[in-house]
Amino acid sequence: MYRNDTVIPWFAILFAVALFWMSYLNGQHIAGLAGHTPEELSVGQIGLMAFGAVLFMYGFMGLMSNWLEGEELRPIRHFPEPSTAPMVAGIILVLLLTAMGGFYVRLLIYSAQTGHNPTHLQGGLFAVMALVIALLLATYKKFYEREEAVTEDEHSEVPW
Amino acid sequence: MFQWFDERLEISRLYNKFLRKAFPVHHSFFLGEIALFAFVVLVLTGIFLTLNYEPSIREVNLPDGSTVPAAYASVLYIDSLPFGAVIRSVHHWSAHIMVAAVFLHLLRVLISGAYKKPRELNWLIGLGLLGLTIVTAFTGYALPYDNYAVTATRIGYGIGASIPFVGGAIAEIMFGGEFPGSTHSVPRLYSIHVLWLPLTLIALIGLHLLIMVKQKHTQPKYAEKVAPGKILGVPLYPQQSVMMGILFLVYLAVTVFIAGAFIAHPIEAFGPPTPQTPAVKPDWYFLWIYGILQVIPSEWQFRFFGAVIGPEFIGGVIVPGILGAVAALLPFVDVSKDKVRYLELPSEHPVRTSVTLGVLMFFIMSTLAGYKIDLNLSNAVLWTLILVVPVLTGVVSYILLKALYGRSWERSSAEPQAAD
Repeated sequence: MYRNDTVIPWFAILFAVALFWMSYLNGQHIAGLAGHTPEELSVGQIGLMAFGAVLFMYGFMGLMSNWLEGEELRPIRHFPEPSTAPMVAGIILVLLLTAMGGFYVRLLIYSAQTGHNPTHLQGGLFAVMALVIALLLATYKKFYEREEAVTEDEHSEVPW
Repeated sequence: MFQWFDERLEISRLYNKFLRKAFPVHHSFFLGEIALFAFVVLVLTGIFLTLNYEPSIREVNLPDGSTVPAAYASVLYIDSLPFGAVIRSVHHWSAHIMVAAVFLHLLRVLISGAYKKPRELNWLIGLGLLGLTIVTAFTGYALPYDNYAVTATRIGYGIGASIPFVGGAIAEIMFGGEFPGSTHSVPRLYSIHVLWLPLTLIALIGLHLLIMVKQKHTQPKYAEKVAPGKILGVPLYPQQSVMMGILFLVYLAVTVFIAGAFIAHPIEAFGPPTPQTPAVKPDWYFLWIYGILQVIPSEWQFRFFGAVIGPEFIGGVIVPGILGAVAALLPFVDVSKDKVRYLELPSEHPVRTSVTLGVLMFFIMSTLAGYKIDLNLSNAVLWTLILVVPVLTGVVSYILLKALYGRSWERSSAEPQAAD
């Protein structure tokens, strides 16, 4: 709580993993990983997984924030020096995104033509595409965006 | 192009005044943003669902010859569309995630003391948002009109109808008649779920954010040394906006992955409503209330000015009502003379932290009571767990906090406090 630390985010991720693990303690195997089988999750499992998902996102973003924004802000401007490595990483990510975008469209066409919805594949592919765009944004922020920490008066005129 | 717009709309003034607002950097602020993005995704996926959903229980024939309610059939149709099942599942998971995120956000505000002056109003709005989020999720639960959803919703209908004097009117407004059975129920729940409650949520979220922008965030404590008396942060645009964009994409990635792998409410598995009642439990956020209902003896019933006060009302309304009232009164009981500008460390407020952990344990134990039949536990054992374990948790937490941080309390109480 004192600063933008990594302790609580790491703990949140560990806790999230534990919650996902707990949600299968009743012996029910992972539903739907082998395709969309109409197998229901119990309300308890859904609750544990919902908290697990929030804690995972929170922990992941907490670590991301620590990496991109640091532990403590100082009122200063930072001008990053462009370099080749992040640009190469960006190009690879864009190529990956393009390929996956094409595959995703093919998957939708396949579903429309056959009536078969492989939800695990559709969801997984969309998730990876969203994650790749998130990584592109993170790369931009880390290596190309001009950083600035500002101070604001407590009684500023925003919004009134 | 920018110059063209700037000359006409003075966009640069907007940037200088609003978009350079300082956003303090701390990971705990992401919980509120996750709740916000869950709501955004719920609205977006909900729009898709409304285009294909039929809010009616009129009987229709499926290609296999079976007769089912139209609402049930339309959800089967949504699931058959390319990516349709995933979008419906994302909607369902986002509802669960929003409830969990709002709860955790509230918990963060509670243990960091951010409910105190000047943020009392926003604390109350936050409590209202949690309640509204749960009610909105509940009203959507019956819409697929499958056997499970109908049975689970009937538990909520029973609790609502049990409220003395006004219960009948509330049930009539929410369900449009007897549930299940009335043909008005699904259209009524649909209207409340997709229009009235989301509009109220949008208004309250807008007010919540507006007040937050006016009053500023509670900052991480180190900022007191770096920029005393100021709000230290990064500008809303572009830095904070990029972080929000990353979080939104991470939200999408996690939720869509889970939604694709685990279809949250596969209605084919439950089937359309039948006279046979399946063994169901209400959604997890009602499970603690359901647990209390399980342990309250049926003979706890008396008359009050002609109205029947029964176990459903005691467990489903009075107990949550007391907890809600205590939460609402908290900022007016635990007051701060000066404005709270920085996140308070939970370790430095042992009573509040211990009580919070005790209340959390109460929720967990009450939820456990919801599994009374599955776990074959007696009422005596469950009452002990519900009443004793939370108290024990609070006491042990306090002792541990004192042993670990007692010296730092003495140091901080010796330091002079900053004046308002």
